[in-house]
Amino acid sequence: MKFDALVVGGGIAGMESSLKLADMGYSVALVERQASVGGRMILLSKVFPTLDCASCISGPKMSSTVNHPNITTFTTSEVEGIRRQPDGTFAASVRQRAKYVDWSACTGCQDCEVACTVAVPDQFNYDLAARRAAYIAFPQAVPKKAVLERAGTSPCTDACPAGIKAHGYVALIRDGRYEEAFQLILEATPLVATLGRACYAPCEESCTRGDLEGTLPIRRLKRFVADWHYATHDGPGVEPAAPTGQRVAIVGSGPAGLTAAWQLARRGHGVTIFEAAPEPGGFLRYALPEYRLPRAAVDQDIANVTALGVEIVVDHPVDDVVGLRDAGYDAVVVATGTPLAQSLHVPGEEHTGVTSGLAFLGAVRQGESRDLSGRTVVVVGGGNVAMDAARTARRLGAAVTVVYRRSRGEMPANHVEAEDAEQEGVTLAFLLAPAEVVADAAGHVRALRCQEMRLGPPDASGRRRPEPVAGAERVVACDLVISAIGLRPDANAFATLSHDGSGALVADPTTLATALPGVFVAGDAVTGPSDITRAVGQGRRAAHMADRWLRGEPLDGFHALDDRLAVVDHAAVLARQRTHARRDPAVSGIDFSMTPHDFAELEPALTEAEALAGVSRCLDCGVCSECGACSRVCPADAIHLEQHDEMLDLEVDTVVVATGYELFDAYQKPEYGYGTFPNVITATEMDRLLAPTRPFNTVLRPSDGKVPDRVAYVSCVGSRDRTVDNPLCSKICCMYSIKQHQLIMGALPLADVTTHYMDMRAAGKRYEEFFSQGKDMGATYIKGRVAKIEEKDNGDLRVFYEDIENGGRVVAAEYDLVVLSVGVRPNPDALRLFDEEDLAATEFRFVAEPAGDHSPGATSIPGVYVAGASSGAKDIVDSIMHAGAAVAQAAATLEVAHPRRRVPLEVR
Amino acid sequence: MRERDRREVIRDEPLMHAPIRRELAGGPLTVPELAARLGRPPEEVLLWVMGMRRYRQVVEVPDSDDEGYFRYELVASDEEVLA
Repeated sequence: MKFDALVVGGGIAGMESSLKLADMGYSVALVERQASVGGRMILLSKVFPTLDCASCISGPKMSSTVNHPNITTFTTSEVEGIRRQPDGTFAASVRQRAKYVDWSACTGCQDCEVACTVAVPDQFNYDLAARRAAYIAFPQAVPKKAVLERAGTSPCTDACPAGIKAHGYVALIRDGRYEEAFQLILEATPLVATLGRACYAPCEESCTRGDLEGTLPIRRLKRFVADWHYATHDGPGVEPAAPTGQRVAIVGSGPAGLTAAWQLARRGHGVTIFEAAPEPGGFLRYALPEYRLPRAAVDQDIANVTALGVEIVVDHPVDDVVGLRDAGYDAVVVATGTPLAQSLHVPGEEHTGVTSGLAFLGAVRQGESRDLSGRTVVVVGGGNVAMDAARTARRLGAAVTVVYRRSRGEMPANHVEAEDAEQEGVTLAFLLAPAEVVADAAGHVRALRCQEMRLGPPDASGRRRPEPVAGAERVVACDLVISAIGLRPDANAFATLSHDGSGALVADPTTLATALPGVFVAGDAVTGPSDITRAVGQGRRAAHMADRWLRGEPLDGFHALDDRLAVVDHAAVLARQRTHARRDPAVSGIDFSMTPHDFAELEPALTEAEALAGVSRCLDCGVCSECGACSRVCPADAIHLEQHDEMLDLEVDTVVVATGYELFDAYQKPEYGYGTFPNVITATEMDRLLAPTRPFNTVLRPSDGKVPDRVAYVSCVGSRDRTVDNPLCSKICCMYSIKQHQLIMGALPLADVTTHYMDMRAAGKRYEEFFSQGKDMGATYIKGRVAKIEEKDNGDLRVFYEDIENGGRVVAAEYDLVVLSVGVRPNPDALRLFDEEDLAATEFRFVAEPAGDHSPGATSIPGVYVAGASSGAKDIVDSIMHAGAAVAQAAATLEVAHPRRRVPLEVR
Repeated sequence: MRERDRREVIRDEPLMHAPIRRELAGGPLTVPELAARLGRPPEEVLLWVMGMRRYRQVVEVPDSDDEGYFRYELVASDEEVLA
């Protein structure tokens, strides 16, 4: 994109520069970091010395800027670099940050703000009050459009292989919107109660709160909303789309199959699930023990699927997908999991008393009563099935030893499962590999002979390879050997589909499409043994792709997992706060027994109070929680979370730097107690309290909402002060303080206003008269620097100062509220704009004007000009005049370069 | 003395909506009164009340009391008005 001029910064100097150049007929690109132009001026109450309304002056200028035909305004944008070209022109890279809102549709109605579940400090009110993650910058914003603040994907959401928006449902619970939380999870999967109990919760492993005192109980929060929903609702509360008339067959009713069926049914397709077992659920029903996942919870989740009209045909194994196509199904999803157990491959495996973990768990789940009291069981393996089998055997009365050929660190089982097993009396024996099942003459198992192992170098899995210790064996006496060394897909099933060497079905990893048109595969049948959430993610993906295929659309667009923002860094999240108060993590509440004897659900549900305590610990890592509340209420369908930042390349002939100033950080003067004493605020904060769009209903002190009777100002905070490395006078502080004195006395007629100052600088048109006016209204001015401020128990403040005009003694005065008149500092961003050459700076790091005496606004780089407070502290009038000087020279540059390039101005 | 980081306090606002609404259901209260009932610091309660005020869930009763405190009351939702 080509423009005559680039103006960096949309404050008063940037707007003025843009308007003047545009009015001359030049095309201008105005780049503003915020979602609105206006800079700091629009946030002011009034301007000095006229006490005109700041909004009334800058509002029309903002509107003129954004709507000027020769100005293209890039809001929420930042210049990442500017390079001067050999011909003297400039190439600028601009990042236009995603707004996540379609501004062409947004009407500025604020419905998204009201619905938003995340509260953050409002930077436009200097953090005095809250705004929402979905927000319009301020009431007079131009353009008046909403944006969503997104720092990235929250770690919990990013970690979920099912694409469940964990941060979203946590935020909805925090807002008391339990049903919406349930519905948000339903967008991913019908298995809400199941995942609330049996998921291994990678979200919790990733939770930033884990870097403090412990993670949120994210999984149990899911169970909380599931239990709440099922106790208060009949059915899922989801209406499927209008029928498409197309039919889809799902083979297998485990987590992948159920999820795929749910997603396709929601989209209006007719879905039939074919299940080989007598009841649906796959491993959820037949492998996971009742104490971890009650059958009732599985049934509740499956009822979600059937409520959408999905037919589940049980006792119906399917091996021929082509036959399904021939039977009239338009698409097929195969999700048959890993139904086969790996063999031990040791002598004696055929003896009575050797079984697989899968068969053992399935038999117990189906009600086969077994009493193992007094028996000894050896479970072979280190995975989750091994842990489930061991703990199940304990409940049946057996003494249980798990033998595993590697060490604890290499166990594939979730560490919680292994720890829980030990708490129930299971013995874990490491570095033992089965060598032979020893049986008696009748063929009954009597022992497992094991080879002792040691760890060698890592193998292909990255885990250290177990190696036999020559001559070292151990015999473990037992009555039952349960083999749980792994699961595998059935390589002999589905002859028309391709299998890899492990027996897994072969498909495109992104689309999950097989070589047979319309046939998709999902879950462990493709990936090999994984876990429930991964299977759910696969089911979602296969359903999405099958739906696209049925609609004749390209197999892409799976935003749930393929198009997420980069994950937010823990350190960046923690750095947003100066302190983090400790909040105790939720306790597990599990009462382990070394002799467990029943299959009752082990983990208690969170109470509502525990759930709310849990969500209160969320740090809102991504800021926006992706809860979708804004999308649901937006009348214009303008919310688009899939937007991404865009990089823009601009070619311009001249650049105007108008990046403004920064305010002194009052934390650097700890003797004044800013940030520690609530009733010590800055003058910019006071300006917000006095503005028509103020954050409170009037001027209130922050500690308790009291209307202050005694207000003190402390001048020259962070300016004319070598202790903070700023000897400069900030020029505007005296006058904005006097302005505020008069406004306070107007707003609070009973208030006393006192200023502690060093000397009053009123150098400007009618400034001295303005000072006198303040005194005439009753403001008190005491000469002498404030040494320190103390806080009383009631929040009042004691100000200690040197009373210069009365003998120089140290005096203490009490106030309700103290206002620090903070100084102006340079904005360091200005000096980082240029890539290959330095924009020269003054000794105080403002943009330098090397020929400032006769050429104000010209910088060290030919063709680059500076406007407003980027080059030093200025009031509004001076900023506007300075912008005029800068753009006059910029225009001269443009005239020399391109005498006839001006754009005719059609609208004035 | 400020007890918690302001960002942390503001983050709690959605969580505090229900308790604040419960307390204000009995009539308007000042920030210190509300703080005493909730058992939370007045500074934090002010932030939550002002957040709710911004989004039209509460509104101040005109005129402060003799001690300089405004009272705040619930704003009826559209549904409540229609009912």
